Amino acid sequence: MSDKNTHETATDGGATRAAQRHQNTDYLNEEVNLLKPSTAYMRDHLRIVWAGFVAWALIVFGPVTMTAIAPEMMTTTMPVLGFPWHYFLVAFCGPTGALVLAAIYARQRDKLDEKYGIEHTTGDPETGEHGDSGEAAATDGGVEQ
Amino acid sequence: MTVPLQAEALDISFKLVPAIIVFLMMASFLVIGYVFKVADAEGMWVAGRGIGNIENGMAIGANWMSAASYLGLAGLVALSGFYGLAFIVGWTTGYFVLLIFLAAQMRRFGKYTAPDFVADRFNSPMARALAAFTTLLIAYVYSVGQARGMGLVAQYVFGLDIIPMIVVMMTITVGYLALSGMLGATKNMAVQYVILIVAFLAGVYVVGFTGGYSTVLPQIEYGALFSELSRQFSEPFIGGNGYYLWVATAFSLIFGTCGLPHVLVRFYTVKNERTARWSTVSGLFFIMLLYWAAPAMAAFGVDLFAAVNNLSPDAVYNGQQAMSGAEGDVIVVLAAQFADLPTWFVGLVAAGGMAAAIATTAGLFITASSAVAHDIYSELINPDATQRQQVLIGRATIVGIGALVTVTAFNPPALIGELVAYAFSLAGVVLFPMFFLGLWWENTNRQGALAGMTVGLLLWITSIINSVLPAYIGALGAAAGESGALIPIYAQYVPPIGAALVGTPLVFIVTIAVSLVTPEPPLETKKMVRQCHSPEPMGQQQTAEDIVSNSGGDAPADD
Repeated sequence: MSDKNTHETATDGGATRAAQRHQNTDYLNEEVNLLKPSTAYMRDHLRIVWAGFVAWALIVFGPVTMTAIAPEMMTTTMPVLGFPWHYFLVAFCGPTGALVLAAIYARQRDKLDEKYGIEHTTGDPETGEHGDSGEAAATDGGVEQ
Repeated sequence: MTVPLQAEALDISFKLVPAIIVFLMMASFLVIGYVFKVADAEGMWVAGRGIGNIENGMAIGANWMSAASYLGLAGLVALSGFYGLAFIVGWTTGYFVLLIFLAAQMRRFGKYTAPDFVADRFNSPMARALAAFTTLLIAYVYSVGQARGMGLVAQYVFGLDIIPMIVVMMTITVGYLALSGMLGATKNMAVQYVILIVAFLAGVYVVGFTGGYSTVLPQIEYGALFSELSRQFSEPFIGGNGYYLWVATAFSLIFGTCGLPHVLVRFYTVKNERTARWSTVSGLFFIMLLYWAAPAMAAFGVDLFAAVNNLSPDAVYNGQQAMSGAEGDVIVVLAAQFADLPTWFVGLVAAGGMAAAIATTAGLFITASSAVAHDIYSELINPDATQRQQVLIGRATIVGIGALVTVTAFNPPALIGELVAYAFSLAGVVLFPMFFLGLWWENTNRQGALAGMTVGLLLWITSIINSVLPAYIGALGAAAGESGALIPIYAQYVPPIGAALVGTPLVFIVTIAVSLVTPEPPLETKKMVRQCHSPEPMGQQQTAEDIVSNSGGDAPADD
């Protein structure tokens, strides 16, 4: 995972603007409401969250619902593997899909932090709670492993 | 409603080598825990700072794998067919919801036991008590499944009848608990995970290979078996297990995952919220290693059951010699036994299941004792409680709950996986809405939380009284009659195993409605919630509360 993009080195203007907006936001004075995101960051974040949630709901409850609606079609046997389709889609694809979505979400979330010029340090209390000091201190500390 | 106790097909006798394996496995947990033990709280923090996402992922996996995953899952897939898959889906995909909505925010909040979170977020000792009571109930119901699992499997190794076996195993569990406490052994969960997953996968691979079912990928190769197994193994929605029950079960397990206190606690030791996110991903992967393989083991077991007993595929499910609930619950061990593998190898597979059950139960008992001694006794009943009194109450709780679990496990109302699922639906109904609303809507207040938790608890308890207790209490049983439930329509839509499908939305509505008509929570509390969503990195040891109380003059928006 690269986390070297501070807002100075961000590749496009949008990222710099986002980082700027982030600098000017006092998150402790912005309301938290899932349905009414109040900061630019949360709006961007919730877009990822809801997209992921919808995809997840389709993967998890889609095949079983289809099986209830069209049992004949769903219980036909798969070529090569030999599973009935409904069984394979639920037993294998559901959990695996959730795993893939989880990795995609975590990746997207890292990108979002890059866009806003946020770096996660190892979490030393000395770096203080605000990103402006963290940015200077953590050019290598945040690299995973 | 109650299920047969003893697994007839299991080879029940004392076996020396497997017994040694069990003791070595348990001893290795203790020794490793002791070697890696940390001297003081500060030491724990320093160690905690070093925990990366792979190691924490394994810890999530070890925490997750109880007898329900190790034994119960394959049992459900073997006995209940397609309905059993609701458990596979429910116990894995919930981690995604946990990841996108709760993991990082919980990490930022900085309080990890359910009672602590609820008390601090809603500023209410009463809410703490309700959360502690729920935690206690969860620990109890969860442990009954574990006790049944360890009793059944231990029969293969130690050869006693089921009832003395359960008593012996619960005694060992309490002894393990005392030893690990005395040695100061913090569980080294990464090692524990490796031991358990190796035992399980070794079983699946070796049974698959020697049975001629599979070579390198049993997780996929068992597909070829479907044409030979009874239709009942894969037929969707048969018997009473319709679409509604399937979805209700999966829903309860998914949102129960997000409400279980012992899952959230795993985010406590990670470096930062980014590690919290990635360790959820790796944790899910490590869990999936078992969940991909469990249905394969179930399929092998069902096929071997028919072969060894000279049954037709359909006779496994119907008729005189059909597979019993107890046999299903030990199908993982039975499959290894049927495949004519050496005793020590079957013992290894059995030992993995017992170790998973003992370690989980020990952890649940600790949670229960702190819920009673700390959250209920010293916070509510006796604020001046001395350390000594608290320790005494804690120990009494462990003895009490241990006895209660043991007795309940003699005559359990359901399969291992189903018993544990009751605990999930309780967590999904009562705790998940508090975590979710508490973190995502700052105006959720004390009154809302109290009302929501009360409604959730009542809904779950009435569901249990309605569908489970009639099998135990004569008067209720008589009132219930044929259907086994006092109010059949309630049992149909709010079954204990799937109570969250109705319950969770209901608790959301109650909590939101009551919060709207009562005063908003104090600004201090709102700021704590806002801090959980701020993208600013936080220090390892900071909680949202610390930041809020220090935020006086140096907030960036001042300029």
